[in-house]
Amino acid sequence: MSFLSAKFLLYVAAVTFLYYVVPKKKQWIVLLLASYFFYAAAGVKLLAFLMCTTLSTYGCGLLVSAIDLKYPDRKEKMARQRPVILATLFLNFGILFVLKYMNFVIDLVRPGAGHVEWALPLGISFYTFQSVGYILDVYWKRTEAEKNPFRFALFVSFFPQLLQGPIGRYSRLAKQYKEEHSFSLLKLEHGVQRMLWGYFQKFVLADRAGVVVTEVFNHDLNYSGITHITAVLFYAIQLYADFSGGMDVVIGIAEILGITLDENFRQPYFSVSITDFWHRWHITLGTWMKDYLFYPMSLSKWMSKYGKHAKKVFGKRTGRIMPIALSNIIVFLVVGIWHGSGWKYIVYGLYNGGLIALANLCTPLFEAMFRITKIDPKSRFMHVVRIIRTFILVLISFYFDIAGNLRIALRMLKASVTGFTFRTLTDGTLLTLGLEKKDYLILLFGVAAVFTMSLFREFGHDIRLDVDRKALPVRWVFYLILFFSVPLLGMNNIVGGGGFIYARF
Amino acid sequence: MEELIAILEDIHPGVDYNTCTTLIDDEILDSFAILSIVSELTDTFGIEITPMDIVPANFNSAKAMWAMVERLKSGN
Repeated sequence: MSFLSAKFLLYVAAVTFLYYVVPKKKQWIVLLLASYFFYAAAGVKLLAFLMCTTLSTYGCGLLVSAIDLKYPDRKEKMARQRPVILATLFLNFGILFVLKYMNFVIDLVRPGAGHVEWALPLGISFYTFQSVGYILDVYWKRTEAEKNPFRFALFVSFFPQLLQGPIGRYSRLAKQYKEEHSFSLLKLEHGVQRMLWGYFQKFVLADRAGVVVTEVFNHDLNYSGITHITAVLFYAIQLYADFSGGMDVVIGIAEILGITLDENFRQPYFSVSITDFWHRWHITLGTWMKDYLFYPMSLSKWMSKYGKHAKKVFGKRTGRIMPIALSNIIVFLVVGIWHGSGWKYIVYGLYNGGLIALANLCTPLFEAMFRITKIDPKSRFMHVVRIIRTFILVLISFYFDIAGNLRIALRMLKASVTGFTFRTLTDGTLLTLGLEKKDYLILLFGVAAVFTMSLFREFGHDIRLDVDRKALPVRWVFYLILFFSVPLLGMNNIVGGGGFIYARF
Repeated sequence: MEELIAILEDIHPGVDYNTCTTLIDDEILDSFAILSIVSELTDTFGIEITPMDIVPANFNSAKAMWAMVERLKSGN
């Protein structure tokens, strides 16, 4: 059942109705049943994978907690907890690895051999990461183990966030599922408002920009220079509108049900550095990686040994950064691989990790440059320069994300510079990429709307409060415009829309 | 405590560490800075800081970091 189908909207309406008419203590059961029904609709057999992750992580949490209570000695406790955790991690990441990356491994080991064809369980990367995070939180005593297996099953399977996140934390979600929720017109209005905004971004912007992206990236040899740059710019619009729009739909549905999910975006294209970009883009994946991979790896014994060695060789300051930079590169390698199998994703991860590591290692150099040139790095001018520089670096990374493979990505990057001419913008080439003049105008209008919203948010202004303060008729006019703009300006109608990009991961 | 303030000023200068209590909440210290601080605290005070200790409550102020150092020095 696609999030973009009328059937799904009816399903959400039916679940919402049931959720608020059953006794409040049973609300979580409605959510659990609704989540499993939603998942089963995609394929009953795939439920086995979801249940395997649920049961193994639930059992692991209980066992880790029981060992914690039984053994007072810290070392003995950890020695007994670690094998349990490692076995659970091995099982869950093993399933993910086999299902998602087996064909890539086959290509590496036996090029030309046939691929394995199997269906990837819906949202496997998202629910695996969320469940693994829970185990480590129990181990580090950041949360208590859940005793009720059904409540835990809801934490893993909550249907709005199952497909593309946000990757939630048990400590924030579990208590919300236990709370009793009363129906509120304001919650409904806010949720629908957010869903409409998400659908607007998806149908009006993402799907329209995607037409140009598909044409150029699928036939890159037919184009060059500014057409490639236009296509990657359009991909920046498509990816943001698709993922952020999808998140608005997910968070909006949860909001109607009284559940607050973590935000996944914070105006990422206003980032002043690649580090800042990853603090604003797919925030829940970034914080997951930081908490559960980056910190543990950086604090590991072997990294500590490397740090001591690096301090001797490179001096105190650089030596201190070296192990952190290495951990960071490895983390981004994992981020790249998380996005998919193939060399282009490995390069995508290494590119991002490498840039962040380099920026941190070169901080003294940048500080010296600013001192010598007497440029104030905190000036408004430099802020804008850093935003533009970061956006260009992000665009370069997108070549690796969207191109068919690494070879095409590199070929397109080269052609973007070598075949550059502004004439392409006016000689009618853009009208051969699948969009008409009116489409470009709609895109321009849509991007201006999203940009304005983002700008307000960036300056700490909550547009939702402004809308709330308006009289009811004014609010309804606003909602009706937004509602009708989706089918009228959207590329696909709401009945037959395509899927979300991140649901693939 | 003075030793800790010196470490913090070396790693991330320009902050009043005696008064600031939102080093993490206000994103003054990023993950690179936190790990640099951890590296120095480990070397200077001979303590072991684990992922369990990397929570905002332990790094939001110099006072909180010092409390963590004292706790880890005493073996708790």
